Amino acid sequence: MGSDMGIRYACAALLLLSASLPAQAQLRVFACEPEWAALVRELVPDARLTTATSYLQDPHYIEARPSLIAAVRRADIAVCTGASLEAGWLPTLLQRASNPKVQPGRRGLFFAADHARLYAPHDHVDRSMGDVHPEGNPHVHLSPDQLPEIARALAERLGEIEPEEGAAIQSRYIRWRVDWNRDRSEWRERAQALEGRSLVVQHSSFSYLLRWLGVEMAADLEPKPGLPPSASHLSQLLADPALGNASAILIASYQDPQPAEWLAEQTGLPVVLVPGTVTGEVPTETLNGLISEIIGQIESAVSGASDGGL
Amino acid sequence: MFKRFIAFTLIPLTAGVSGVCANELNPDVSVTLDGYYKQNETALSHQDQGFGLGHTELSLSSPIDDLFSGRLTAVFEEHDGESEVLIEEAYLQTNGLPYALNVRAGRFLSQVGYLNGRHTHEDDFVERPAVYRAMLGSHYYDTGVRLNALLPTPFFWQVGAEAFAGDQLTEGEEDIGVYTLNTRLGGDITLSQSWQMGLSWLRNRHAKTADTGDGSHDHDDEEGHDHDHSHGAGYTGENLYIADLVWKWSPNGNNREQQLTLSGEYLYADELNQFAASDDTNEGWYVSGVYQFAPQWSAGVRYGEADLREAHGDHFHSQTLEETDVMLSWSRSHFSTVRLQYTHQEASGFSNADNTVLVQYVMSLGAHGAHGF
Repeated sequence: MGSDMGIRYACAALLLLSASLPAQAQLRVFACEPEWAALVRELVPDARLTTATSYLQDPHYIEARPSLIAAVRRADIAVCTGASLEAGWLPTLLQRASNPKVQPGRRGLFFAADHARLYAPHDHVDRSMGDVHPEGNPHVHLSPDQLPEIARALAERLGEIEPEEGAAIQSRYIRWRVDWNRDRSEWRERAQALEGRSLVVQHSSFSYLLRWLGVEMAADLEPKPGLPPSASHLSQLLADPALGNASAILIASYQDPQPAEWLAEQTGLPVVLVPGTVTGEVPTETLNGLISEIIGQIESAVSGASDGGL
Repeated sequence: MFKRFIAFTLIPLTAGVSGVCANELNPDVSVTLDGYYKQNETALSHQDQGFGLGHTELSLSSPIDDLFSGRLTAVFEEHDGESEVLIEEAYLQTNGLPYALNVRAGRFLSQVGYLNGRHTHEDDFVERPAVYRAMLGSHYYDTGVRLNALLPTPFFWQVGAEAFAGDQLTEGEEDIGVYTLNTRLGGDITLSQSWQMGLSWLRNRHAKTADTGDGSHDHDDEEGHDHDHSHGAGYTGENLYIADLVWKWSPNGNNREQQLTLSGEYLYADELNQFAASDDTNEGWYVSGVYQFAPQWSAGVRYGEADLREAHGDHFHSQTLEETDVMLSWSRSHFSTVRLQYTHQEASGFSNADNTVLVQYVMSLGAHGAHGF
């Protein structure tokens, strides 16, 4: 009798819970990284978004938390980077959530890297090289030339999932594309002043943008990709002649600033700390804003460095 | 405009052709090397004194098709100079059945408790807590089937049931020797804090018919006894209840840099065998705190107690074990860990309780599966 009542209460509680959920009409999107959440927001402004990581987190290393499993369970589509960036947690989320819509090979799992040409793919990879992804550098969201193709593919996929919204999504994509092209030509102009400059970096997070700008990467604070900067590696860097040409040290918000600050003290180079992806705040709440901001920060560091040189 | 779209659609095709794919159709292969040096023999331990190999595994896993995936894990162990190969996992798993149902069949780790469903190489200490070693044989795996459902709630709520042959826990006649029920809830408190709790019930239908020994009071037997049961649980009961709670904190949720993990479990078993009175129970608990204070460094402390009844024919002998572990570990990369641990034991009813220093390495070669929370 008692357990009977218990079951009845549990059912009633479940009914209440499901009744309190808003109508199913809204598209529910699980974004692995904030950049894809920002892109989805451009294409489907009223989508209900859950973002697994923030600009303060290293996207390689978060955990498959219960809240994220529950979010994948509810999602109509998951939008992720792919190329093994999320290999440490996304497979567990997909398996534990067992959402039939969001599974490898099905429409509800979108990988941006599938629609991009990645830098530095490797035929041969072993772990003595560090955490190298055989598919290539996955941090493709800062590539001004590749993002439009990713956005186009994403718009198409979102349209397949919500056919009645397809035309609206397509027109929002075109509008976004126009804005992107306009911003991109502005970045191209600003890049002229930066071309040939070089920066010290930590990890390959900004590689796509720096290559596009023509900015060289003089040195990496990481001894191997994915390994934290070590004292011995930093002191080796100090002796590196390439450091003499560097204008600044560029690191992302989620990284520990201490190694960069140490090197800055030794060399007098400025540290440029920028978000590696979009944040919740102006001006870096969109990908356009983020790239403009990163370029702006590099510009001021470079001009400051050359002022100092004079 | 149309022409432009065509040009854009061509890009992924060419990218796909030139793209490099690591291992197209081969299963992912992973090997875990686990070795240790242990200064002294300890009570209820599955690891011998001196140099030894721990849980050395070879694992193959792959999607089978779009509905199934599978995994095979073989464990190589050595006891008293004899090598053994154990099949710890050989299961198929569904991917995305309707209603977020999840079926697993074959041999696999039971999902009761927090630690039991995890691979031992993910652990923060050299051995599982004393109560786990006593009541679950460190990790209980068996052949059977599991059905899990993730409820459509705004927070994480999973319910699951398993049915097993049961012979890995206690040998017996029943075709289905073990049933388990499990529920798990979890969520985020803030950006920096997350939690998970679980309740489990394991019904061991073989417990009542278990062989309880001849009742002779030969205590020299004890060490041999430990070895005989090195893969199974020495202390079982018809009902095993487990409650577990985990809380994790890392600044801004960036667990790459820093993370504090507090976890604890309580295990209680009754109806130990056919001779058991109502106050004959096995129980125990542990709490563990591990602080990863830098990307490559962790320090932790764990305290646990086990209050046990050892079957001697028609009666029981009481045994208690209190264990404190302190550890420091260093991981060069995500794939290698070296650990230094000190274990302090205080016991009654165990002749081999002792304090010991342990040094352990856990190295992961090849594919490295994603970890759970």
